[in-house]
Amino acid sequence: MSIREVAVADEAGLLGRIYRSIFRVRPVPQTELERSQAVASNFFFHIHSAKVYEETLKFKKTLGLGLFSLFTFVVLVITGILLMFYYVPAPEQAYQRMLDLRGVVSFGTFLRNMHRWGAHAMVGLVILHMMRVYLTGAHKAPRELNWVIGVVLLLLTLFLSFTGYLLPWDQLAYWAIMVGTSIASYAPVVGDQIRFFLLGDDDVGREALLRFYVLHVVVLPAVLSALIGLHFWRIRKDGGLARPSTDE
Amino acid sequence: MNARPQNAEAPAHERFPLKPGKTYGLMCVVPTRTENTGSAAEKQVQSWPAALSRELLLFLVTVVALGLVSYFFNAPLEEPASALHPPNPAKAPWYFLGLQEMVSYSAFWGGIGIPGILVGLAMAAPYLERKRGGEGVWFHHSRSGANWTFLTLMTTLGILTLIGTLFRGENWALIVPW
Repeated sequence: MSIREVAVADEAGLLGRIYRSIFRVRPVPQTELERSQAVASNFFFHIHSAKVYEETLKFKKTLGLGLFSLFTFVVLVITGILLMFYYVPAPEQAYQRMLDLRGVVSFGTFLRNMHRWGAHAMVGLVILHMMRVYLTGAHKAPRELNWVIGVVLLLLTLFLSFTGYLLPWDQLAYWAIMVGTSIASYAPVVGDQIRFFLLGDDDVGREALLRFYVLHVVVLPAVLSALIGLHFWRIRKDGGLARPSTDE
Repeated sequence: MNARPQNAEAPAHERFPLKPGKTYGLMCVVPTRTENTGSAAEKQVQSWPAALSRELLLFLVTVVALGLVSYFFNAPLEEPASALHPPNPAKAPWYFLGLQEMVSYSAFWGGIGIPGILVGLAMAAPYLERKRGGEGVWFHHSRSGANWTFLTLMTTLGILTLIGTLFRGENWALIVPW
């Protein structure tokens, strides 16, 4: 049965036709073919192959760390967008907005908590994911490039967390960024220029807050999302998750 | 059809005429490498539902875990930022405290040199380790050298991060956190 035939089959009036226009298969696919189509004909699922090696699905193989990282990122994007409705990246207002989140905005504290703890969790999860990949030898040929992409993703995650760290504009944020960016100035020759480029000034101030905000909410998430897509696509192109060769 | 002598120039179907009552099969040798020759078949399952259901489960675990932590623990918020009141010590976020700890020994090597070398090593790792085998197996014996090197580096970074986080007080002096 082709996708077209599935679409025509058991049409149940207008609602059925609307359903079929969105989903090409039944809500619970029954046959092997339908299950393959459920994956292949869905925009969000089709990064999967129709079939996966049962061995690689075992939790102890991956500890789910890559997916945990992804899902934490998803939570961070959602809570981050909600926080953007309340936040103003200016020194006079940023801190007051933090107090508003605590006292005025419904579920504001919970929202900020989730974004904050999620950010810490993501850094930890990505590091653990990297360790898992290395210790299971999953970085070796033919997956070298995907490992390199992963290292870039780790650096982006660190930088994403670091740029977000400044935004509450409290003492913790301010001095952490002061210390963190001074590390960049230890680079030979261009160190001070790098720091100036990051901060938009000689010190952490108005320009730094705006720069970190734009990097944090637009530039870095966009780059990270694109690379995550590439990372997942490469998993499939490199033959699925690493697994022992069967003739070993 | 004229009967012709069976010589090398004759078409193949004349040199080897079909015999009635016999079954013929068509075979050929493909000039390529077959990957799976001699190996056991690997069991594959449908991504729907095997992979998708597990992904949904992990997503729910992520949301519930983050939700619970966020319900019970509040994110820190200190006094408003002030350039005039530096805390002592001022600390970077925890994931950079390993670097900050190294910076306290040498600004260039701790902050730029060693981190740069580590990132370079990390990116080069799959190209340096050329020996095949051990893929998809935790701590495979054939990779123990690589694994130990990696674990030693990660543990060192972890210990430096812990020292920077917990054991450094005023003026970056060593303290006991309890």
